[in-house]
Amino acid sequence: MVDALLAVLQRPNFLIFVIIFLWGFYIMMTRYNLVKKLIGMYLVQTSVIFFLVSISVKKGATVPVLLSTTEPVKAASYANPLPHVLTLTAIVVGVATLGVGLALCAAIYRKYGSLDEQEILERLE
Amino acid sequence: MSHQLPAILFLLPLFAAISMPVVCLKHRHWSRSISVAILAAMVLVSILNLHNVIHHGEVRYVFSGWTVPLGIEWVADGLASIILVLLSALGLLCVVFTGPTFPKALGGRIVHYYTLILLLVSALTGIVFTRDLFNLFVFLEVAAISSYALVGVAGGRALFAAFRYLVLGTLGASLYLLGVSYLYAVTGTLNMADMVDKLPLLLSSKALIGGLIFMFIGLGIKMALVPFHAWMPEAYTHAPESISPILASLVTKVALLAWIRIIYWVLIGPIVIFDIPILILVAVLGTLAAVIGAFLALAQRNIKMMFAYGGISHIGIILIGIGQGNQTGFAGGVFYLLNDAVMQAALFFLAGVAFCQYGVKTIDDLARIGKKSPWLTGSLVVMALGMIGLPPTGGFFGKWYIILGALEAGNYLSVAGVLLSTLLTLAYFVKLFEAIFRQSSTQLDDVQPGEIPLAFKLTLGITSTVIIILGLFSAPIVQLLLDHAMPPGL
Repeated sequence: MVDALLAVLQRPNFLIFVIIFLWGFYIMMTRYNLVKKLIGMYLVQTSVIFFLVSISVKKGATVPVLLSTTEPVKAASYANPLPHVLTLTAIVVGVATLGVGLALCAAIYRKYGSLDEQEILERLE
Repeated sequence: MSHQLPAILFLLPLFAAISMPVVCLKHRHWSRSISVAILAAMVLVSILNLHNVIHHGEVRYVFSGWTVPLGIEWVADGLASIILVLLSALGLLCVVFTGPTFPKALGGRIVHYYTLILLLVSALTGIVFTRDLFNLFVFLEVAAISSYALVGVAGGRALFAAFRYLVLGTLGASLYLLGVSYLYAVTGTLNMADMVDKLPLLLSSKALIGGLIFMFIGLGIKMALVPFHAWMPEAYTHAPESISPILASLVTKVALLAWIRIIYWVLIGPIVIFDIPILILVAVLGTLAAVIGAFLALAQRNIKMMFAYGGISHIGIILIGIGQGNQTGFAGGVFYLLNDAVMQAALFFLAGVAFCQYGVKTIDDLARIGKKSPWLTGSLVVMALGMIGLPPTGGFFGKWYIILGALEAGNYLSVAGVLLSTLLTLAYFVKLFEAIFRQSSTQLDDVQPGEIPLAFKLTLGITSTVIIILGLFSAPIVQLLLDHAMPPGL
């Protein structure tokens, strides 16, 4: 038990990822306000992006542009660009989803005059 | 030229979607003709591609010359090419069907609607072809974002259904991405073929198992597998009449195809989750989905809701076939997937026609159709035969091969699941027919429907014919699947 706790504390980034993810998930599932749900959803997405960035950190490495063309390439001195590119794409996808979500929220508000899930459900009955 | 076909197939609808707002700026009504033309061209090119793949083997396409572990690879193999013919043909039918049922709430924004449909079709094409796990995520999201917008496009109740779909769908996508980053962290690659080489050393890795569980839950939400299906019936029921068929027939099936790809093309070794082999898990989940979905369908009164739950139960039947781990079961599962896509499209076309012509929404309204509409009742009979799985239709042969596969694997629970869900399907179609031919409701005769538009006759006629053709030619089609669409190692 103590060992497991210590192992978790060795990697605080994973701990932070789990906290943000569960926090967002909790907001998404328990709040009735639609915009709050979207905030929870965005926290979930951000936590995954955070995870992706944190596993790809390389200490003492630089940007992946060749320092010299004559010496042999040492992989250890360059950061891996792929996870960062993935992160950028994931951020773009997240922003697009959030945009559609907010547009739907605005349309729901115009139609029902409320953003509260329970009020809208009552009106739908 | 022929090795460029996968890229052409993807770029056709994508370029059409991007250029449509400009081309149709002055002439909005061109947009429908352009969509029909583009999708018809796509059907032709996909048939050409299938022909090419059958005769010359699979086509590997690498984007901008970056070779395999580095770049993104697309592969047009037998399975992808067959699914793509289906996808483009159903997309074309859905656009043809849209004409008379175009959502009135949209008013003049007709161009945006067709743009979204073409974008959806191109994203689904990408999912079918790609062999890169992250690329798959991007296309899943492009397809999902276009479907959220299309569900909510007509406003009203659909807005709320679309919002729920968006929240759950995004949760699914995030879980999938999380799974991909786990797998990337342990293997250092995203390419499926490259990952296969690296997995044998990692079979006991907890990160691999964790990542797989996240990926499967994420894709499970996207394909409306039973514990995660909550968003699906509501979204499909309240979506506009012209959108439900394309969503029901294509979006969930293509997510299922992505799952098949990962199970059979990446996890070739004996992967075990909590001491249960993964294929057994798939078969059990499929059995649960098949039975529970059919039970829920039986309880519905809204016909679109009933068909949506029917779709959930059929996803389960496909998974039962896939999970048997032998050639017969796999071919049966994929053959049933083809059938089910056609049947779901047909059912929602039918629900759309019934609503537009006769204002039918629930089972109680069905009596209005009665004997007045031979087109509707005739095609409903064919679809019922297909859904229940009676001999002249493709549904029968799909279930037949799935049961043969299950018997071969000695998996009697799966056989029982297929049979029970068939009985329940029979029960809810009996309920429908009982409602149609009920004599008591004569007071509704004041409904004066106009002539059924040509587009409706065409879509209902073609889908019903295809359901029967798939049955009549089941032997060559299954043989084609056995010859060209088998995963490595089966």
